[in-house]
Amino acid sequence: MHKLRNILCIIPPHMLREIGEKGTANQRTLALATLSHSNEIRSLRFQKEMVERAAMMRAPTKQRNVYDAKNGSQLPGTLVRTEGDPISTDTAVNEAFDGAGATYDMFFEVYGRNSIDNNGMRLDSTVHYQKGFDNAFWDGKQMVYGDGDEDLPPAEQLFRRFTASLDVIGHELTHGVTQFEANLNYFSQPGALNESMSDVFGSLVKQRLRGDTAGQADWIIGEGLFTSNVNGVGIRSMKAPGTAYNDPVLGKDPQPAHMSNYVNTIEDNGGVHINSGIPNHAFYVASIEIGGNAWEKAGQIWYKTLADKLNSTSNFQDAANLTFEAAGELFGANSLEQNAVKKGWEEVGIAVGAPPQGEGCLTAVLRAVGLAK
Amino acid sequence: MTRIEFERSGGFMGRKVTLNLNLDELPPDQAQTLSLLIDESDFFNLPDSPAKPPVPDSFLYTITVTTDTRQHTVHTSDTTAPERLRPLLIDLSARARAR
Repeated sequence: MHKLRNILCIIPPHMLREIGEKGTANQRTLALATLSHSNEIRSLRFQKEMVERAAMMRAPTKQRNVYDAKNGSQLPGTLVRTEGDPISTDTAVNEAFDGAGATYDMFFEVYGRNSIDNNGMRLDSTVHYQKGFDNAFWDGKQMVYGDGDEDLPPAEQLFRRFTASLDVIGHELTHGVTQFEANLNYFSQPGALNESMSDVFGSLVKQRLRGDTAGQADWIIGEGLFTSNVNGVGIRSMKAPGTAYNDPVLGKDPQPAHMSNYVNTIEDNGGVHINSGIPNHAFYVASIEIGGNAWEKAGQIWYKTLADKLNSTSNFQDAANLTFEAAGELFGANSLEQNAVKKGWEEVGIAVGAPPQGEGCLTAVLRAVGLAK
Repeated sequence: MTRIEFERSGGFMGRKVTLNLNLDELPPDQAQTLSLLIDESDFFNLPDSPAKPPVPDSFLYTITVTTDTRQHTVHTSDTTAPERLRPLLIDLSARARAR
């Protein structure tokens, strides 16, 4: 990173434009991040603008299609709205369209990423999937949304349509981003990290659109999904995992906020939607420690980690170590930002720098004293 | 005697819903409908059809049908369920959610 900063300082504007237009996501992210933290030098500010302007030249690749499954199971269904079409009379169609747009915009404008595959991939969404489908998912190619449990009598309904919550849309689209980057296995800790990345960027899309700082944000995932029959504010809370709902029918939010309450289970692909509370809360704490808008610095650190550092088998300890490393590269060793990341993981019971799971303590000690490779 | 055990787990919320039905204890018309759906799905010859790799946020379904002479279990998902199983899957999901 420091090497890169030095290189960028002597790169002429036309080459920066090349990086913005043809560089990899990583190169653009690094260029933007490096330059944005060298604002004290006027020439660098100018160079940052050049990179951003060049990135904007790629903008017209935002392509959104929304399909209607008409309560069936066939995907994608009938195309009902595409880029440039007027607003639909169907609220779910517009929510899916606008939500995909807000998510695309954040990834593009903040992280320099051009869609799910970073190559302008069209964003396909299907609404009205099946009847009484209280769910949303990413099927590997597109986003799919149900209408909740609209088929039940009003007094028994628990869920509204799943497009009603912007962070749910951001969550599903981020599953696509993860698939093209770290491709975290959807089981156990890698799976919970996969889930957490979706909650993190889903929440950031909402925070950015509302203009909420980390301190102002509600950090609720799926706010607005429950009907008034449910005693709860949403599906998950990143601020206080385990407190989003407590309801006679749904039970209590099962998310832990600390490793001491980690849930070992084979259900839900090894508890991917349960233990995600742990990395979720680490991100929340880091964001609060850094202050300001969470999508800017904390989001940048997590994005860099997702795009450049994690792999399919990464666990929580890896994520802690690698977000710490990313923060050091972006903001400097022992910076406020790097210390915030360390504190975030500490609060959930993970010490940054501890050896990854699978490597015994003895091995680490032996390596430290030069007796093991 | 025909019994159905149904479980739906996973999903965006990770919430599990379950259902245990003894067809002999159901109103005759409902028992008849379910028997028909089991027959039409050719249930006892259905292979497992889980999503591999798993689909993020997808529901995971496990259905076991037990009669006097046989028992069979199928694991499946929304994106991989055979078409002939879908009517039974949707019926059981609706019953499980309504409870």
